[in-house]
Amino acid sequence: MKKFYPIIILTAIMLSSVILLSLTNAFTKDKILAQQNEQTLSELKSVFPEMTDYTLNKDIYIINANGQKIGYGFIATGKGYGGAISILVGLENKTTVKGIRIITQSETAGLGARIALPSFADKFNDKNIADIKLKQDGGQIDGITGSTISSRAVVEAVRNTALAKVQELPN
Amino acid sequence: MKIFWKEFTKMLVISNPLFVVCLGNCPALAITTALDSALGMAVGLTFCLFFTSMIVSLIRRAIPNVVRIPIFVVIGATFVTIVDLTFHSYVPSVWALLGIFLPLITVNCNLLGRAEVFAQHNGVIASVGDALGTGVGYGFAIVIIAFFRQLLGSGTLSVLGHNLVTLPGLKEQPIGLLILAPGAFLVIGLLHGLFRRVGVEKSE
Repeated sequence: MKKFYPIIILTAIMLSSVILLSLTNAFTKDKILAQQNEQTLSELKSVFPEMTDYTLNKDIYIINANGQKIGYGFIATGKGYGGAISILVGLENKTTVKGIRIITQSETAGLGARIALPSFADKFNDKNIADIKLKQDGGQIDGITGSTISSRAVVEAVRNTALAKVQELPN
Repeated sequence: MKIFWKEFTKMLVISNPLFVVCLGNCPALAITTALDSALGMAVGLTFCLFFTSMIVSLIRRAIPNVVRIPIFVVIGATFVTIVDLTFHSYVPSVWALLGIFLPLITVNCNLLGRAEVFAQHNGVIASVGDALGTGVGYGFAIVIIAFFRQLLGSGTLSVLGHNLVTLPGLKEQPIGLLILAPGAFLVIGLLHGLFRRVGVEKSE
């Protein structure tokens, strides 16, 4: 019995920890989700300054300005150097990108994390979806020097997701 | 109560966790660029220290020596995760500023250090005093560093969006070096010296 005592007590502590954390998660889950939605909305607003309201079609935001449809927004997820990168993509119409915003990323600070700077996001403004490739891959986007993996992850995620979402778009 | 205050005040200056014991330097370099993030870190760390030390001290006789480190880490990580989720839902701006350094409190030397060095050998009241003293002493230290770095490095002081002071000349031409890591080393170095001079040398 004495031999198993450390195992028993460690298990007991782990179990109490799990219970405590599930409780905390249950209490904070909704608030965190609401928080993230709010962030997505404010980013959408910065891509589409004229936006007055939106409707949600599955996971695509259809952006309206005074009843007029002015574009589409959706989340693209790429695989970067340090983990998942989540990107908000705004489309002006079915072929042109209006702008992108990096929502979350965990790239190396000072190198890959530079993808989150506005100077990188701005390179996507008003580009044709098909041209969203790094220059060295035959596209029109300048990658960030020293951060090719991160830049390419963003570019590929934006293009592939945009091409897929365009098929699902209502007219 | 006397023992509580004795342990509490001991950690504030004489063995200040950052300036005298020199533990937890990594977050002290990273999150002291603004008062907001330093205050967030101070609150988070104090909360985690308080509960970890209290629980370790309460169950200290039941902890088998061979698995004590995993037990301390699990208890610490539990409270760190609670802080992480709470900050994420209630103060998302501070949560975003702290980033990876919030979950990294788990491996903050002060957290494991107080459990290993103090809480597992001492009673609950002394341990809680020691933990709160460590949290407040560390928080006090990083808030001073953040005060100088934000004031001189960006020319303004603000807490949770409220602007406290704006220095006219520095606002336009801030000392950018202080916001970068070398600036943190300079400020911490000067404060190290000051604390030794006023706190430690007197008590020796």
